Amino acid sequence: MAQPLVKKDDDRDDEVDYSPFLGIEKGAVLQEARVFNDPQLDPRRCSQVITKLLYLLNQGETFTKVEATEVFFAVTKLFQSRDMGLRRMVYVIIKELSPSADEVIIVTSSLMKDMTSKTDMYRANAIRVLCRITDGTLLTQIERYLKQAIVDKNPVVASAALVSGIHLLQTNPEIVKRWSNEVQEAVQSRAALVQFHALALLHQIRQNDRLAVNKLVSSLTRGSVRSPLAQCLLIRYTSQVIRESTNDTQTGDRPFYDFLEGCLRHKAEMVIFEAARAITELNGVTSRELTPAITVLQLFLSSSKPVLRFAAVRTLNKVAMSHPTAVTNCNIDMESLISDQNRSIATLAITTLLKTGNESSVDRLMKQITNFMSDIADEFKIVVVDAIRSLCLKFPLKHRSLMNFLSNILREEGGFEYKKAIVDSIVILIRDIPEAKESGLLHLCEFIEDCEFTYLSTQILHFLGIEGPKTSDPSKYIRYIYNRVHLENATVRAGAVSTLAKFGAMVDGLKPRIFVLLRRCLFDNDDEVRDRATLYLNTLGGDGAVVETDEGVKEFLFGSLDVPLVNLENSLKNYDPSEKAFDINSVPKDVKTQPLAEKKATSKKPTGLGAPPPGPPSTVDAYEKLLSSIPEFASFGKLFKSSAPVELTEAETEYAVNVVKHIFDGHVVFQYNCRNTIPEQLLENVTVIVDASEAEEFAEVDSKPLRQLPYDSPGQTFVAFEKPEGVSAVGKFSNMLRFIVKEVDPSTGEAEDDGVEDEYQLEDLELVAADYMLKVGVSNFRNAWESMGVDFEHVDEYGLGPRDSLAEAVNAVINLLGMQPCEGTEVIPPNSRSHTCLLSGVYIGNVKVLVRLQFGLDGPKDVAMKLAVRSEDGTVSDAIHEIVASG
Amino acid sequence: MILAVLFANSEGNILVERFNGVPAEERLHWRSFLVKLGADNLKGVKNEELLVASHRSVYIVYTVLGDVSVYVVGKDEYDELALAEVIFVITSAVKDVCGKLPTERLFLDKYGRICLTLDEIIWKETVTFCVIANEHPFAFSSMDTAANVLPHPFS
Repeated sequence: MAQPLVKKDDDRDDEVDYSPFLGIEKGAVLQEARVFNDPQLDPRRCSQVITKLLYLLNQGETFTKVEATEVFFAVTKLFQSRDMGLRRMVYVIIKELSPSADEVIIVTSSLMKDMTSKTDMYRANAIRVLCRITDGTLLTQIERYLKQAIVDKNPVVASAALVSGIHLLQTNPEIVKRWSNEVQEAVQSRAALVQFHALALLHQIRQNDRLAVNKLVSSLTRGSVRSPLAQCLLIRYTSQVIRESTNDTQTGDRPFYDFLEGCLRHKAEMVIFEAARAITELNGVTSRELTPAITVLQLFLSSSKPVLRFAAVRTLNKVAMSHPTAVTNCNIDMESLISDQNRSIATLAITTLLKTGNESSVDRLMKQITNFMSDIADEFKIVVVDAIRSLCLKFPLKHRSLMNFLSNILREEGGFEYKKAIVDSIVILIRDIPEAKESGLLHLCEFIEDCEFTYLSTQILHFLGIEGPKTSDPSKYIRYIYNRVHLENATVRAGAVSTLAKFGAMVDGLKPRIFVLLRRCLFDNDDEVRDRATLYLNTLGGDGAVVETDEGVKEFLFGSLDVPLVNLENSLKNYDPSEKAFDINSVPKDVKTQPLAEKKATSKKPTGLGAPPPGPPSTVDAYEKLLSSIPEFASFGKLFKSSAPVELTEAETEYAVNVVKHIFDGHVVFQYNCRNTIPEQLLENVTVIVDASEAEEFAEVDSKPLRQLPYDSPGQTFVAFEKPEGVSAVGKFSNMLRFIVKEVDPSTGEAEDDGVEDEYQLEDLELVAADYMLKVGVSNFRNAWESMGVDFEHVDEYGLGPRDSLAEAVNAVINLLGMQPCEGTEVIPPNSRSHTCLLSGVYIGNVKVLVRLQFGLDGPKDVAMKLAVRSEDGTVSDAIHEIVASG
Repeated sequence: MILAVLFANSEGNILVERFNGVPAEERLHWRSFLVKLGADNLKGVKNEELLVASHRSVYIVYTVLGDVSVYVVGKDEYDELALAEVIFVITSAVKDVCGKLPTERLFLDKYGRICLTLDEIIWKETVTFCVIANEHPFAFSSMDTAANVLPHPFS
């Protein structure tokens, strides 16, 4: 019994091991190709050799020019054979060898003969090969045959010609466009495939003629297109026409929507899906239009075919971004997809659910995700982490469970990108949800105990240094930080030393113990660590006296540079080592690039959902430093707000100037950022002459000219105004740039001694009410609104007159007030007739303000608005109403 | 457009590959990515059951056919549904040529005919591997494969 079994196994092994191409070599195959030259052709043998050549090419083997030419010429001999199989192989190999133009001529006549052959297969194949290798001149010769082939009664030949037409359209559009009539005839073909190809070609021929495409779509949507593929194309073209046309203003109906909706009942799944997707992607799609599409997609979710499930969940995921409520009905089906074997489907389902879920479903969802996370790849996990972060910002009350989830996955295995995504998310949550701060910091502390990524450890240590000292019990973080000094590499140790010093500087009670720890670092074997410890001990007063750390020292040690790093780098490169020490004040302070640079460093803060917009806090810090460094402005007090730069010149002008409005309680400072774009000029004594005659409440108190403005090196000049304290005075200022211009010799770069005084008119600048409002979001508007109370509530109604849309009216009011939209209420569902928008901000004098705007369409275009304001000060509530009334 | 069509054996060795519009230096990445994708997911999958994945903005539909795994990669209008059509035609054609589910040996035995049929599917249905470069929606149709309507070359 045993023997036959063994024998059988042996047989199988033989079969597996043996490959017909075992030991194949290019040289040998090229030798074998000589068989093509035999006077008595052996078709079988020749086919085998061509197969070997194809195998070699498929394995990435390349032929030299000489080799390819030799093989090509030999192959052309095979046209003598009448063997059909061999002829077909010849067609394939000719295309593979892609002969050069001078070689093509050898096969042209044979191919042209085949093109008119009685054998359909020869005709079709020859057309494809010829079109592949031909050029424009030959094409005009064969054009007649191609036109005939398009309307050939054999669909295979017609399709070959049409497809060739599609390819030739790229290289010889003029010729192919002449085939329009034949192609149009082919669109009516009974063969589904021909219809599909013809429609594709016809559309490509007409794609630049919008009217023609419109006509094509109109006629075909009325008739019956047989091929499902052609139907899909038609749906795509229809979507394009819809995008370019406008709604029927009378009825609000969308042209061709009925056609798309009708396709949802087509028998081919492909067509149904195409139509559903087209509907979901319509501009400003209404929920009435969406419903039927969502219904069919929901059915696909429970399909047995992974491809359909994937397609459906992918589309729903996109819809959930703009219309989360429309997708809510599919939530149950999507929850079952979390356990789908296909991880792409599961991830899409999860992220969709996270977008559409409500507060009550968060815990259940998290439970399901926990099981799922362990068996997906990092790239999917990152998507999930991002979705969870957004969810947490949306439902801040759920921070506990979401933060726990993040900390759990932080402990599991994972690559750098994944861990970084989690850490970034925790940092964002700590920053935006104050209640989540302490637990978040502890999670981060635990993570660095066992973190293999130096980058992440140092980032977290830095973050701990900023946030840790502000917590109720800073001492509990010290252990985690000091452990790093013992256990980590030099980079992390140096980071830990700095963080320890920050705790020491900010928390006086911890100082003695911190000094003890820092002294231990003096014996570290890395010089950077030792240097840092020495510096901190000396500057913070490590000699034993526990005194409050001087603000100047703190600023010196932990303050950010008040110059952009790029500028500093450039200045350092240009610094010539000499007796004279490098002066940091000589570094230009182009604040236009500074906020950008800082924004990059803080990075990745999501917008919306009640979170304050990215940038401002750090930008304000930068501006505050800059202004306080100027003695004339130091007495103005705390900077309340700095506006975004407002351009005062057109792009591409000789001098580019923008202005930042800095608002103080009793003063306003205009910071003019200037750039000289003429290499042959040096500007000196640059000032801006401001005419404030249209801003009565303002009186100019100071002006700080810019000494020099060389080519392409930014600089600032300032003008300060006094205004009544705490009042949101508004006005218009006209500006004139005045300077002395000196010619610069381009060869030496030296400026002439004498200059000429010149002026350059800038655009006017307005100070508006929104400049006195700080955009500060609240994480839970309802709570904030309730706790603010009705004491200083002021409610009134306004007519905003005719507007293009509700969205335009809402945006206008948001911009007018300059407040932060909360909970995503700045997004107005298309075609809605009413909308509530929630805003929050801090008004000058540090008065918190909350605004509830209710908009409604009154008649076809007129917008009416109810404005409810609550604030900590009745006069501020009234002021907000005044802004709206006068705006 | 269709970016790649790739056949591999059960050990992840490439049998046939065609890239289109993919720079040479990225091909190795794609090759190993696809083979890894197959190794991770194709175990225990039924013949011709389609799996789908997306990598950045690119879609991948893949399946197993006997000893051979087949991958089709596309982007833009070649989304998962279009690729499902494409791979359906390819697998049907290969099965027709081999007469049954292919072993690796059978696949290599029929290599020439497979190349030919693959070319002619597309000849019939739109695009050859060589001309995939030209963007054209829905390269293949599932109406019928060339192998069904054309006589075999070696018969």
